[in-house]
Amino acid sequence: MKLKSICAVAVALAMQFAFAADSIKIGVTGPFTGGSSPMGVSMRDGIRLAAQEINAKGGVMGRKIELIERDDEAKNERGVQVVQELINKEQIVAALGVVNTGVGLACQRFYQEAKIPMITSVATGSIVTKQFLPPEFPDNYIFRVSAYDAIQSAMIVEEAVGRRGLKKVAILADSTNYGQLGREDLEKALAKKNVTAVAVEKFNIKDVDMTPQLLKAKAAGAEAILTYGIGPELAQIANGMVKLGWKVPMMGSWTLSMSNFIDNAGPNGEGARMPQTFIQEGTTPKRKAFIEAYQKAYGVDRIPSPVSAAQGYDSLYILAAAIGQAGSTDGVKIREALESLKSPVDGVVMTYHQPYSKTDHETVDMGTPVMGEVKGGHVVFAYEEDKKKASKASK
Amino acid sequence: MEVFLQIIFSGIAVGMIYAVIAFGYQLTFATSGTLNFSQGDALAFGALAGLSIVEHLHNYWLMIPVVMVVGALYGVMIERLGVRPALKIKSEGWIMATIALGIIVHNVAENIWGKDDLKFPSPVSEIPINILGANVLPMEIIVVFGALGLMLAVELFNRKSIYGKAVVATSADRDAAGLMGINTSLVIVFSYALSSLTAAFAGVLIAPLTLTGASMGAALGLKAFAVAIIGGLTSGLGVIVGGLILGITETATGFYISTGYKDVPGLILLLLVLAIKPAGLFGKTAIKKV
Repeated sequence: MKLKSICAVAVALAMQFAFAADSIKIGVTGPFTGGSSPMGVSMRDGIRLAAQEINAKGGVMGRKIELIERDDEAKNERGVQVVQELINKEQIVAALGVVNTGVGLACQRFYQEAKIPMITSVATGSIVTKQFLPPEFPDNYIFRVSAYDAIQSAMIVEEAVGRRGLKKVAILADSTNYGQLGREDLEKALAKKNVTAVAVEKFNIKDVDMTPQLLKAKAAGAEAILTYGIGPELAQIANGMVKLGWKVPMMGSWTLSMSNFIDNAGPNGEGARMPQTFIQEGTTPKRKAFIEAYQKAYGVDRIPSPVSAAQGYDSLYILAAAIGQAGSTDGVKIREALESLKSPVDGVVMTYHQPYSKTDHETVDMGTPVMGEVKGGHVVFAYEEDKKKASKASK
Repeated sequence: MEVFLQIIFSGIAVGMIYAVIAFGYQLTFATSGTLNFSQGDALAFGALAGLSIVEHLHNYWLMIPVVMVVGALYGVMIERLGVRPALKIKSEGWIMATIALGIIVHNVAENIWGKDDLKFPSPVSEIPINILGANVLPMEIIVVFGALGLMLAVELFNRKSIYGKAVVATSADRDAAGLMGINTSLVIVFSYALSSLTAAFAGVLIAPLTLTGASMGAALGLKAFAVAIIGGLTSGLGVIVGGLILGITETATGFYISTGYKDVPGLILLLLVLAIKPAGLFGKTAIKKV
């Protein structure tokens, strides 16, 4: 009897050990529900796709990757909760995800304190990777694969002021961290071109009527609307413009490519332009394979947010490469490996040659993103030369 | 001038939405002195139910009566589960109970229809009409007249029918009305049914203008409550005026002052009304004899 129970305990322990040795736990957080969900869900599905591929090839260090997913509902406080759960209860070794800048700023402190490397897959606020810089903090554990807002706003301004020569522009931004930080970046980018926005307006998430904001922009003589917000409210802006019988070009951050903008704005959203790191067109064999795999795995024709899916996919490949190089699941070693990746990572957005260093935690540089345009309910390349260039992007 | 008109028109459209929801608060307050704090969720539930019904009926106008029935049943449920037990023991428990029921309905709606905002197909053309230089969507006109029509119908019913007499009697003195042979609990149930019916109606009315989702009612329910306080909880005319005041101040503030302060003047007005005329602009001051 005694022997039996000892055996049982031994077996249980062995199984636990075997299980722990078998999988590498990676946390994934993002908004899988609500207005930001096209980004969150596409990102998650991209990460899942990468995990399946990596595991099918034998995993990392002979161990399978196990994704622990949590919905942060795009709420700062919820993000803080789930990240703490991932760190303390699930004992993850590294993390991916985060779509909303505000959520990122609220929750990544816990990764930093726990020395758990985190690759931001989607959130674009310029300061997301700059919260824990030396000398105040010896090491920064926050990395990123998306195009941060300073790049995006420069591109938006270049499109409006540079290429089209419009000097009178209005900024419409939502009242979240994302919208207001983006607005600051837009204003800075405009100042570099010696342009001041003729109107700077604010709106809240769930606002049903954009008439006052649009009227102000119209009264100020705006020739283009520059936006920083998310899908549903951006659609209200496009619809509101049609209601006022006023049509000027709409350009804004990459969120104009979200499916809930395209669907809710319908024909009113046609022609909207936004910076994109990835456009759902098979310009390279890698991209073609990725798009087909995604469509097959999730039974969709149009990826709800192609940028998020591609960046999510790439973020796991970079992380897996770093874990492989570190030969360990220790957070400090993974961070060191991320900052000195030796072999290139063949991603969907680009091929990453030593993407990060001790001081540079961004993969996307000025010139990497391309301009996308809403056309026939899809996001396509706005410029033919971008399409050609897109076949050989790398860092 | 054109800009001014545009602001007024937009303000009226938004204001009428607030008014018709606030009207629902006023209906139940008149009979039982209680409010249904889940009015915003009744609106969202009505709009989402309407979206599903439209998919089956393929006709917006036929869907409206069905949704009104759904709304009425919703009101009966709220009254039975949340309000009647509290009224029986003369407690204020209905406040928490209606809020709790609202949260439950919100969660149920999220599980049935998902948490995403859905587009409600517009039954009329989405091309704006030009009135005196300002643009108005046909649906906005329908919202304004639909809301007015419904409120008028309910008011007439309350004033002319025998039921209306029962309402007046019940609100004057519930115990005395009961002794006179009026089934006061039936009157209260009926007022709840009417109240949620108007909310559900408001939901399907505004859904083509906004997006439809489980959380669409939260902000609207709160604003409508402010309208009910401004206009007076005992006056049907009050909520219409209150709604227009709030709708137009919001839009005008957004344009003339700053869109960042859009919600502030309405709330200042609310504080002023509470300080100077607590019963509301059109409300009758209740005299409580102790």
